[in-house]
Amino acid sequence: MEPIGRPRERVLDNAAWAVRRAHAAGLNARIHGLRAEVRAGWGPEYHARVRDKGKLPTWDRLERLRDPGSDVFPIGTLVNHGRDFGGRSSPGAGLVTAFVRVHGLWTVVIANDNTVASGAWWPRSPEKIQRAQEVALALRLPVVYLVDCSGLYLPEQSATFPGRTGAGAIFRMNALLSANGVPQIAGVHGDCIAGGGYMPIISDVVYMTEQAYMVIAGAALIKGAKSQHLTSLDIGGPDVHVHLSRCADHRVPDDEVLLRAIRAEVAKLPGSAAAFYRYGADPAPPRLDPLELDGLFPEDYRVAYDVREVLARLVDHSLFWEVLPGRGAEMVCGVGRVGGLYAGFVANNPELTEHPVERGAKRPGGILYREGIAKISQFSRACNDDGIPLIWLQDISGFDIGVEAEKQGLLGYGSGLIYTNSTNEVPMITVLLRKASGAGYYAMAGHPYRPVLQLATPMARLAVMEGRTLAIAAYRTKLDDEFRIASSDEGEAEAVRRGMAEVEARISGDMDPVRAASQMDVDEIVTPGEIRSWIEAAVEMAYQSTGYRRVKNPRIWSLHDLRILSV
Amino acid sequence: MFRTLLIANRGEIALRIARTADRLGIRTVMVHSEADTGAPWLDAADRTVCVGPSKASASYLDLDAILQAAEQSDCQAVHPGYGFLSENPVFAAACIQQGLAFVGPGPGAMLVTGNKIRAKRAMAEAGVPVIPGSDGAVHDADEAAALADRIGYPVLLKAAAGGGGKGMRACAEPTALRAAFVEAANEADKAFGDPALYLERLIVGGRHVEFQVLCDAFGGAIHLGERECSVQRNHQKLVEESPSPALSPEERSRFGERVARAMAAIGYCNAGTVEFLRAPDGEMYFMEVNARLQVEHPVTEVRTGVDLVEMQLRIAALEPLPLSQANVRFEGHGIELRINAEDPDDGFRPDPGEITAFRAPPPEAGTARVRWDSAVRAGYRVPPYYDSLIGKLIVHAADREGAIAGAVAALDRTDLQGIKTTIPLHRKVLAHERFRSGQYDVGFLHAAGLAG
Repeated sequence: MEPIGRPRERVLDNAAWAVRRAHAAGLNARIHGLRAEVRAGWGPEYHARVRDKGKLPTWDRLERLRDPGSDVFPIGTLVNHGRDFGGRSSPGAGLVTAFVRVHGLWTVVIANDNTVASGAWWPRSPEKIQRAQEVALALRLPVVYLVDCSGLYLPEQSATFPGRTGAGAIFRMNALLSANGVPQIAGVHGDCIAGGGYMPIISDVVYMTEQAYMVIAGAALIKGAKSQHLTSLDIGGPDVHVHLSRCADHRVPDDEVLLRAIRAEVAKLPGSAAAFYRYGADPAPPRLDPLELDGLFPEDYRVAYDVREVLARLVDHSLFWEVLPGRGAEMVCGVGRVGGLYAGFVANNPELTEHPVERGAKRPGGILYREGIAKISQFSRACNDDGIPLIWLQDISGFDIGVEAEKQGLLGYGSGLIYTNSTNEVPMITVLLRKASGAGYYAMAGHPYRPVLQLATPMARLAVMEGRTLAIAAYRTKLDDEFRIASSDEGEAEAVRRGMAEVEARISGDMDPVRAASQMDVDEIVTPGEIRSWIEAAVEMAYQSTGYRRVKNPRIWSLHDLRILSV
Repeated sequence: MFRTLLIANRGEIALRIARTADRLGIRTVMVHSEADTGAPWLDAADRTVCVGPSKASASYLDLDAILQAAEQSDCQAVHPGYGFLSENPVFAAACIQQGLAFVGPGPGAMLVTGNKIRAKRAMAEAGVPVIPGSDGAVHDADEAAALADRIGYPVLLKAAAGGGGKGMRACAEPTALRAAFVEAANEADKAFGDPALYLERLIVGGRHVEFQVLCDAFGGAIHLGERECSVQRNHQKLVEESPSPALSPEERSRFGERVARAMAAIGYCNAGTVEFLRAPDGEMYFMEVNARLQVEHPVTEVRTGVDLVEMQLRIAALEPLPLSQANVRFEGHGIELRINAEDPDDGFRPDPGEITAFRAPPPEAGTARVRWDSAVRAGYRVPPYYDSLIGKLIVHAADREGAIAGAVAALDRTDLQGIKTTIPLHRKVLAHERFRSGQYDVGFLHAAGLAG
């Protein structure tokens, strides 16, 4: 591996640096604000209500679960942002799903947010739970459920009950996780009504607090419950489920003890294999500060930058082995260590690069040309062969277009890449740095290609094409070859102008990453400076469990074959 | 906390457990034998279930009958009290298998503590001093003699499987040891079906000092100080007191913490007692672990203000210990007198029968507070089938003199007629100079001519 990247002062002068930092700070501040909003749930009043019942608010539960000093990585934070259900908001879809380190092991924690409608399930709550379960299944990470759920938010049941991803699919995932040997541990902290009851019970170990109950139907639906003075606790509390029905394993007095008990359960699992797969290396930070990524990207999305400066701030010691550097220069791919573990990177290089045939000519980056496609397709397959987790850094406008592109058969090369990525078994992580447009977003392992995680920066622009381009496409019959309005009628021209402006504005709004996060098109929005710690965690997760995927030692990598053939 | 608790015991301890359960809002179910039908303590239960005929083996020791009673009365937990099934690992395991919380240590820990050799080995590994002796059984007289030469005479041969003095021989020199080995092995084989013997140094003139320990399910462990139980006849305790007149506060806290740590280290969970023999030179030697609530637990309760039954229930409901070692306060001096239906003038022959007249001790006597743990009343007929303990008189005063005076005064105001009891013996013990001086050991009753 070789050093890459240059000190910030040599990449950018202080003036440009200040402008870009200020721009990024504005974008990041919005995200931090939104996260804080979600974390507050329905506000202090609801937090107090939870505490009055002798329970802990959900985020406090996570605090007690995690290893002291470790970071928690939540996903799906902004799900349902901006949606309104009869005047009610549902921050985070009433759930916290997060990667939490417990006794050195990464776990997937799925917790009802008891400060939002007593942990009810909203539209997209089932999908959010299933997404977290999907990641757990893909990486064989132990799952911890912290259940405190009053059931479906009934007024919206049609959106959460019957569909293919309705609440029932959660329990199917419970079963699949179990069938694939993924440990599941459940803590029942409070209500656990109707379907919610299945979630803990398929788990391998179930703890119940003294306030918890699990019932098929609560006291409200039991005939004669009022006259018999029955409460839901009588029907399905720990007295019943721990000692009589045996649907739960242990009773504990309260949240605090329950979380200690769950930590103790996780400690009984086999430890992480990550240290083994470091092959003697120590995790090390990049030589160039990852936080500088908050200021490296141009404030105008049309301006290019050198993606190697980004890579340099993501890999240990800023050391990188670039594979096939001489071909398809608009793509950069290679291997670096992240937290001591090998990871493959595929990144768009937005800068102007040499044209492969026309001597001296340059062409814009951020586009998929034939050589680049062939290169990353081979690299992707080699990483899959070698069991090296793949990280896709997208800043892509799309495939090359035009007569030349079609003649070269880019449709075929692109489909080959899509085939490769669709059949890859190695964990892939996709980061939308900036543009994620058109089929390029697909070809570079966008969400439909099942990366274990898809992250986006606040600058990300996720759409089939840019608003301006789309407006042109929509009004092409009214435009000439230079995309000018062809009509000589002033009234008609004005109508076209207005229509195009409207389309452009709407598409730009759709490209807001917050919108994408709200509808679960990305798993989480992370600031550029946070990317390194996220991929460090994700790569470690990918190496945590053994026995479910191929990991070749570096002596016998197919990547070496690729290098020899390309020299 | 559990909603319904089965109390698998009888007499004063059944009542004692029910009192705490009531205070914690737990319903109680008591099992009883036919002989105990209508017994006074059963009034304290919310429900009673007759589990069999008078003989203990067919009722209080009948595992299946008791588990059945627990199931049909929707219990979540079983408190075994002391004696009967309290230290039976099979019963504990069966409870757990049936979904009942067993209020006591788990069967795993019981298997260790219930075997003298395993217990000694485990405690030695956990850093508790043990009496020098064989590591496990000695196989023949030669091996025993060689070992005795190394650790020094006198030595004691003990049945590995046993207790109660069966298969036990004290030997002062090698010839006696060889002769005793065969005898003791035969005796052990006959009594326990296992001839295995182990050998250890005989400590002469030692005191019985035991530490009360509480361990929770999360590795938390504290001690509640010691109890001095050297007033014994044939290894049966009659008077217990705390603190021990022989222990300094510094020694108490240093040793107590060591014992608590050791119990946590062997995976013990719940209340337990670790018994030691304190040699005249001040060395403490581990004897055994009592994996249950002890008869004499109130002595600790009056001094510390901790309700041991409550702690047991909380630990069984997976609560962490609610108090730390630093929060444990020791106040004043406590003495317990065991009132047995026995005739101390006739070799402590059990004397069951009807109590014709009865007046309980007053709640205060002199400067002492008096606690009377008993379920008897006038007209109660003590059945002949079970242990002869009918009541425990516990006094607590600012100091030992006050406690002794209080005990005497309380006995004076207690009236119990119709059967012979140990009350007259207690008057003699309390008046005895050796006892009053605090300088007594396990040989005290015998030496004072009070051992019957």
